[in-house]
Amino acid sequence: MKIGAKRPSAEDISLALRRRTEDVERQVGGLYDTVLAPAFPDGLAVLAVGGFGRRELFPHSDVDLLLLVDRHHAGERERAAIAAFWQELWDRRLRVGHSTHVPAECSELNEDNIELNVSLLDQRFLAGDRALYEYLAEERLPRFFERQREPLSRALCRMARERHAKHGGSIYELEPDVKEGPGGLRDYHLVRWLRRLRNGAAPPPPEPELAAARDFLFAVRAFLHLAAGRDMNQLTFALQDECAGDEDPAAWMRQYFSHARRAHRAALDEMDAVEEQSSTLLVQFRHWRSRAATEDFHVSRERVYLRAPHRLEYEPLLAIELFRFAGRHGVRPAADTERRLRQYLPRLRRYFAEARPLLWPALKALLSTPYAAPALRAMHSSGVLGAVFPEWERIDCLVVRDFYHRYTVDEHTLTAIQAIADLAEGHAGDARFTDLMTEAGDLALVLFALLFHDVGKAAGAASHVAASAEAAAAAMERVRAPADERRIVRQLIEHHLDLSAAMNSRDLGDPATARWLAGRAGTVEILKMLALVTYADIAAVHPGAMTPWQSEQLWRAYLVAHEELTRELATARIHDPGAAEFIEGFPVRYLRTHAAEDIAAHIELERRSRERGVAVDIRCERGYYRLTLVSRDRPSILASVAGALAGFGMNILKAEGFANTQGTILDTFVFSDPHRTLELNPQEFDRLRVAVERVTLGKLDCKTLLKGRPRPMLPSRRARIRPAVAFDGSASDCATLIQVIAEDRPGLLYALASAISAAGANIELVLIETQAHKAIDVFYVTSGGQKLAPEQETPLRDALLRACAG
Amino acid sequence: MKKIEAIIQPFKLDEVKDALLGSGIDGMTVTEVRGHGRQKGHKEVYRGLEYQVDLLPKVKIEMVVDDDRVEDVIRTVTRAARTGKIGDGKVFVYEVAEAIRIRNEDRGEAAIG
Repeated sequence: MKIGAKRPSAEDISLALRRRTEDVERQVGGLYDTVLAPAFPDGLAVLAVGGFGRRELFPHSDVDLLLLVDRHHAGERERAAIAAFWQELWDRRLRVGHSTHVPAECSELNEDNIELNVSLLDQRFLAGDRALYEYLAEERLPRFFERQREPLSRALCRMARERHAKHGGSIYELEPDVKEGPGGLRDYHLVRWLRRLRNGAAPPPPEPELAAARDFLFAVRAFLHLAAGRDMNQLTFALQDECAGDEDPAAWMRQYFSHARRAHRAALDEMDAVEEQSSTLLVQFRHWRSRAATEDFHVSRERVYLRAPHRLEYEPLLAIELFRFAGRHGVRPAADTERRLRQYLPRLRRYFAEARPLLWPALKALLSTPYAAPALRAMHSSGVLGAVFPEWERIDCLVVRDFYHRYTVDEHTLTAIQAIADLAEGHAGDARFTDLMTEAGDLALVLFALLFHDVGKAAGAASHVAASAEAAAAAMERVRAPADERRIVRQLIEHHLDLSAAMNSRDLGDPATARWLAGRAGTVEILKMLALVTYADIAAVHPGAMTPWQSEQLWRAYLVAHEELTRELATARIHDPGAAEFIEGFPVRYLRTHAAEDIAAHIELERRSRERGVAVDIRCERGYYRLTLVSRDRPSILASVAGALAGFGMNILKAEGFANTQGTILDTFVFSDPHRTLELNPQEFDRLRVAVERVTLGKLDCKTLLKGRPRPMLPSRRARIRPAVAFDGSASDCATLIQVIAEDRPGLLYALASAISAAGANIELVLIETQAHKAIDVFYVTSGGQKLAPEQETPLRDALLRACAG
Repeated sequence: MKKIEAIIQPFKLDEVKDALLGSGIDGMTVTEVRGHGRQKGHKEVYRGLEYQVDLLPKVKIEMVVDDDRVEDVIRTVTRAARTGKIGDGKVFVYEVAEAIRIRNEDRGEAAIG
């Protein structure tokens, strides 16, 4: 029976199942007459339960029978008859699941054997004492199911969740179990049982989509049994080929997954309905979330609803906002919301393809929400992700057989994004990578790179990396992401296999490996993001893939590259006769972190600076400001400018300082304007620029600007960060590296830089990062052109710690 | 029969595996392990702060072979796994009392082929 080539109809399958059922019924009936009836003129009935009870006997599935007795018989004759009955069935090579019970046992909740209670949901009479059977089926069981509906339903849900977890929680396994796995037949049965319990009687026939899923799964399972000659339920690669017949196995598996998805979805919906009925504290808390409503959405029982679904017709961006809302509050779209979204999918698809709206800020906001991973998953299952990014539809349910991954490409991707969320939670994984997240800059870009890292697999080329990077670049351009962020995502995708290649096939102790990795990553910022992408990519291969061993190897690969980049920052300088004179002698990092247009702007700024010895440019970029300063080098410029910015109430988020061979410096400060001074008072732009120029030239003391500024509020005691100062004399060949981790506050950089200048040291290079209220400042410092002497370190450390304390 | 256990550098696994396959050994068990010998771990510096790495990631390969293959396997493994630096690993050889194939209860050399 080739399912693909000569696909049997649903009728064929149900006929085959019914035939086997009838055959077994005949055998059981005959054996009852000859073996059991003589010993039990009454007081015993034979019941078909489970799959046999449902008349769904697959070619090699177990035959579940229950002997219902009016009392437990102790007599030798009766016991011998029952034993002979079971033995004879076994001898006929029927695998019998058997039990013997009195009616009272059948109608009590048995926590240790909930399977007995469940199997009775599908019971029917086969032979024996009909009055005894009717007493159970018409008197005791209806009352029992009515009374125990809630605990039984909850137990069924618990068992289903355990079963799902056992199979990795995902329907998208490359070799799925069509019976027990998520989306398997058991899910279909679960739906029927829960509906049966809720209705108090047999539920109406399933909806057409669910019935189609059942028929498909029935056909596959029947085929597996016939092909393997045993009760085999795993759809292995070899059997997928057989099932697909002349069709492409990957295309056939897509059909499988779409049916499994329906069964799984229906099971989850039923389970949610049950679990929300129980009045636990958790549920009450969930209801409390209903307050998280806006004029567009409202939340009920943990599900988001659109207030006016028809607005999707003329406001397609509402669909993106919906998932952003879901990501912010950790809620899922309701079944009705998903239905509405699907209804408008063609419209959404057309709009995103043709109008090419400015989507990037909304998408980035979505990716930055605390529940971005489940929100993206919901966006995928509702089809909206594919409408925004048709590239994604090509990896939907895509099977790539590499004997390494366990999931389809889309599932692997969403699991990878979930791995980052798990790291952020700090519950799972390696704490070192959780810490790395606080240093790794824009996590939204990491998530976006993960979202596209395997999209190229749809092209079927030998290496998917280039195709994925191209697809991401095109998609980002379409949603109008800025060029620098497109560049970062492209780099992350292009190099997403580098760290894992190094950890598995290169000697991490070899300096050449460190140089290779450093060259591939380019900058410490990209390296950190790459480490997270790699972590997530490995963790998403299957639940046990990220072993402590793998994690240690990845961390070591990251470390050697980090050390190499830190070292080369101070030593690797630009020496290119063709380059502009201005950038001669800047660290190589300068070229890696600046686009050609930035460099052209800097050269122009340098030209302007020649007249007065300084030139300053301030511009607003996507919610923050960037100040670029070119000047002749003189002591404590960095501290002075930091002080001037703090004096205007600005908060420095990021700073970089470079010096070229002619003693010209280029400092860049990225800052926010918490009091909106610049936004509300455009004239302050000029005043700030002039003030920065004057402090740079030494004509204004920034202390006068800082006088009278209010002291900032400190965060709560729990969130306080203990300041730490570390000196490293070996990280660079020509400077001492000082790293300061401290609680950020306005004026911190000024205080630190002043402390270094006051100690007679010169700041050669500085990299400042602020993550939330944690500042990570790295200074490359010299004294008299040399590294710091050991005796200089202690007083400077004390001075820096004092500066951190404010 | 002898059991040969080789602890090697992770990045040498493919090379050692290929060399063993090339010399006719196709059954082996590979485990990701951590440990140290004279290499003792070392200090790593991250962000200017030192921390001690005590146990280093290694790979353990185990195989059971006929007595007359032992020297050949040892030579193959040591050649493929060698870089010349401390930390290349070790090979241990054990006496095996009996081997039984679970599927058909083959015993002795028949079970390891």
